[in-house]
Order: sequence, then C-alpha cells, then structure tokens
Amino acid sequence: MVLVTVRLAPRATLEQAMRRLKLSEKDVDTGYGLVLIDPGEDLYGLRVSEAAARRIDPSAGGGPYADPPIEPYGPPD
Amino acid sequence: MRVLIQLRPSPDVVAAVADPGATATTADVADGLPGVALDPSFTPVAVPRPMPVTGGDPLSLNQALTFSLAAEDATVMVRGEISDDELSTRLTLLPALHRDVVGVFADPVIEPNPTCGGDGPVGDWHDVERLLDVAGLGAEGMDGSGVALAVLDTGINTAHVTHRLGRDLTLDAARSWNPDGVHGTPGGFPVDHGSMCAFDALIAAPRATLLDLPVLLSRRPGGSALDGMLSDAVAAFAHLRTVLEDQPAESRALVITNSWGSFSPRWDFPVGHPGNYSDNPAHPFNLIVSSLEQAGADVLFAAGNCGRECRDSRCAYPDRPITGANSHPGVLSIGGVDTAGERVGYSSQGPGRLTSRKPDICSYTHFSGSGAFGDREPDSGTSAACPVAAGVVAAVRTVWPASRLAPAQLRTLLRRTADDRSDVGFDFDYGYGVIDASGVISSLRRRAARVA
Repeated sequence: MVLVTVRLAPRATLEQAMRRLKLSEKDVDTGYGLVLIDPGEDLYGLRVSEAAARRIDPSAGGGPYADPPIEPYGPPD
Repeated sequence: MRVLIQLRPSPDVVAAVADPGATATTADVADGLPGVALDPSFTPVAVPRPMPVTGGDPLSLNQALTFSLAAEDATVMVRGEISDDELSTRLTLLPALHRDVVGVFADPVIEPNPTCGGDGPVGDWHDVERLLDVAGLGAEGMDGSGVALAVLDTGINTAHVTHRLGRDLTLDAARSWNPDGVHGTPGGFPVDHGSMCAFDALIAAPRATLLDLPVLLSRRPGGSALDGMLSDAVAAFAHLRTVLEDQPAESRALVITNSWGSFSPRWDFPVGHPGNYSDNPAHPFNLIVSSLEQAGADVLFAAGNCGRECRDSRCAYPDRPITGANSHPGVLSIGGVDTAGERVGYSSQGPGRLTSRKPDICSYTHFSGSGAFGDREPDSGTSAACPVAAGVVAAVRTVWPASRLAPAQLRTLLRRTADDRSDVGFDFDYGYGVIDASGVISSLRRRAARVA
C-alpha cells in the first residue's frame, strides 16, 4: 500500500475521496480512512494499493508517496 | 570538525618550534587563519620532512627515507576546528587563502570506549534529574502541569512507570488514540519501549499529562509486532491537531515525542522520486509535521542510532542516517550523550537529509531508569534522549505556552543555551551542544523581565 493525497472541501469523507479519485473499496484501506493532512490547504491523505495509485489521474490526486515501516530507536544492539 | 593544520612558516619560527628549549605558541605560528578556530592550548609540533636517502622519488614514502628537522625542511602542526558547514569547500579554500598552509588533516577524537549498545548503564535517572536541574525547573513552576505530552510509541504501561518513578502520573485516556486495528487501553499496554519513553519524559516534567498513541503496534499490512507504518504516524498527528485545536489559543501546550524512524531506504521511493519520504519535504508526513508545528506543537524526534562508532545493525542508509521527519526543520532532532556528557557511539551524526544542521542538540541516555527492558538494562538509544528532552520542553511550556513562546522560538532558545561541545557553535556530533535546563531558566527569566 502507498499514500495518496487529494484536495477536497472541509470535513470531507472517505466516500467523497474515493469518488474524486475513481477508486473502489477494494482499492482503499478503509480501516485507515481519510486523514486531514493540512487544513490550510484542505489536503487529505488515504492508503491505497499500488495498482490503484497508478490509475489515479494526476489532476485529481497526488502521489503515490512511500509508506515505509517505522521502528523504535532503541535499545540499540 | 577538529583538524590538524600543517604549516610552513618562516625558518626562524620552525626553528623555535623544533627547539625543546624554546616555547613557541600557536599564536606565534599561525595567528589568524581565516575560518579556523585555533586551539591556543595546543603546543605547536615540528614535523620532520621525509627525504629519500639517495636521490630517490621525492613523492614516495615506499623507499629508504631520512627525516629532517632542519628549519628549512620541517613544517609545523597546530590544532583547530573548522565549521562542519560547507566543510569540503572550507578545506579546499584554506590553503589557497593562506600560503603557509601545507595541508589540513582530520583530528578524530580518540575515544577507546564510547558508550555503545550492550554496555551497562552510565549513571541513573536521578543523575539525569540533577543534570537537568529539575529542582530549579520546579522552583520556577516548570513541572509540566497542564501540558499535554504525547508519546508516539509502543504504548504505555502506567502501572510500571508509576512503580519505577515512585510517584503517581497523569494520563489522559480521552485524548489518547489508537491506530485502526490496535486494541488496548491507554496506559494499559505491555511494558516495552513506550513505557521507557513515558518514564524518561516525566523526569523533567513530573506533572505533565501523558497522551498514549501506540503507533508502533500497528498490524497494518507490512507491519509487525514492534513496527508500524508511517501512515499510522500521519493519522496520529492528524488526531493530535484536533487535541491542539481544542485547547484555548492563549494556553496551547502540546509536546510530541517520537523515538522512532525508518532504518532503511528499502521501502522508500528513491531519492528524487516525488513520492520519496527520506529527502522530500513534500511527503504527506513531513507536511503534517509542518502543519502541527505551525499550529503551536513542539515536535521532537530522536536522531537515530546509526552513529559511526557503533551503529545499530538495522541501519541501512549508507550515509546521512537522519532522514525524513527526524531531520525536519520544524522539529528538534535529539542526539544522545551519557550522564558523563560524552556522546554515545550509536547517536546518529548529521548532516540531516531535510535540513543539514542536525542533530539540533543532545540529551541524556544510557542510564538506569525505567527498567522497561529489565532491571539491569539501561534506558538507551536516542530513544531515551528524545523524551528526556521532551520533558524539559514540557516543563517550560507550563509557564510559557506557545502563544508566549512559539515553537520556533523555543527551539532557538534550546539551541542557544545548549552546552556547546565544540569551539564553533555547531557540529554534526553534538549539534549545538548538550541540553542545559539551567541556561534555559536563566534565559527565560531575562525574557520575562523584558516582556514585563
């Protein structure tokens, strides 16, 4: 899975994001949902499959962006 | 960078340096090298010139040689420090600017045994209390009261932390948050890395209100027992923005401590790809960090455990291991020193990838504290250093909310008051130096007097 971004109206929903990006539920991590990244820009983020990300019209959404694993910095070995 | 500078001054100066009966000083030999902070305590040393025994190749050391200390042959070595900024340029230009300079060489710190992973603790958390002048902070009313201190980690076990601290703590379950799929009650997670971070944050801010965000427990595809995905941190930061915005604007105080990062470029897009995380300020996580910082949150990240002397085996970046948000211009990147004030060998060195001047400052680690990994195991890694520093920030916020001292101003204050461990103000080992709570207190007193 990767992250993609989309600009929507304030208080947007995941369904609105999916419609804008022409994605279905099987393309999207619905458990993750839609996350407001920058309220000043009305910029939202969601997790989608890499295949779905490749289908997104660049004029509709941004990405794909890496979603790497993160790990604790300790204790060092 | 500490350097040795080889000079060819006039023969009479070389003779004075070579004469054991004379006392030539650094100022006699090299007064005013541009861009170099010379060390006046270092006695200049005469360096003999290697010469072929019988007319051989003058540029080869692989032959029979004799060494001449004659004034017309020898050179002189002095010691100094050059700023890490634009280091290669400075090293190249110095001989061009000063005709006496023959060469510039690294002068690495000789530390036979820097503290490394697997070493026993160096001091305990009461030493850290003393070093952070927690009594002095408390006397100023800086104890974390009313300050939200978010720990993004593996979850907190309040019973363990309370037991180890020997005092009660406050955790706000309502403002805590779990990633999707992570079940568990705030403050009720198994004792692990997150409990260590909570314990260490409360050293300097004993009355701060903990928020528990166990992002590293995510079971999202690609995750495992003790690692999450960056997207979980994106969602956690989005939650924390609502926490911040629910606070009255005049008294906002939210400190976010992050003792985690990405060890490897393997799961990232290549540098230069628009979706890359490690080097890309436009990645959604780096954007949301900016957005929270601008809204008034103090964000701290561990610099990482990829220091050259004893790097963690998971470190897979070939260079510049302070990556992504850990090197963000809007956060404090925290390196680690032991309670003796010496940098631990695993603390990642700069430059950072989003911002060159990283780490910002160092804080204390590798001390006996939470016992989260066993009674005899230290709180270690820059993982411990980061929440220790976050506690100092939370303590300050008790009296100085973001409306009175913006996060950028507080970062500047912490850098400016840090105990500089070099002679040039910033270096890639210690950043601006070791956190100095007493200096912070003094500076804030002066600031309060000015404001009044």
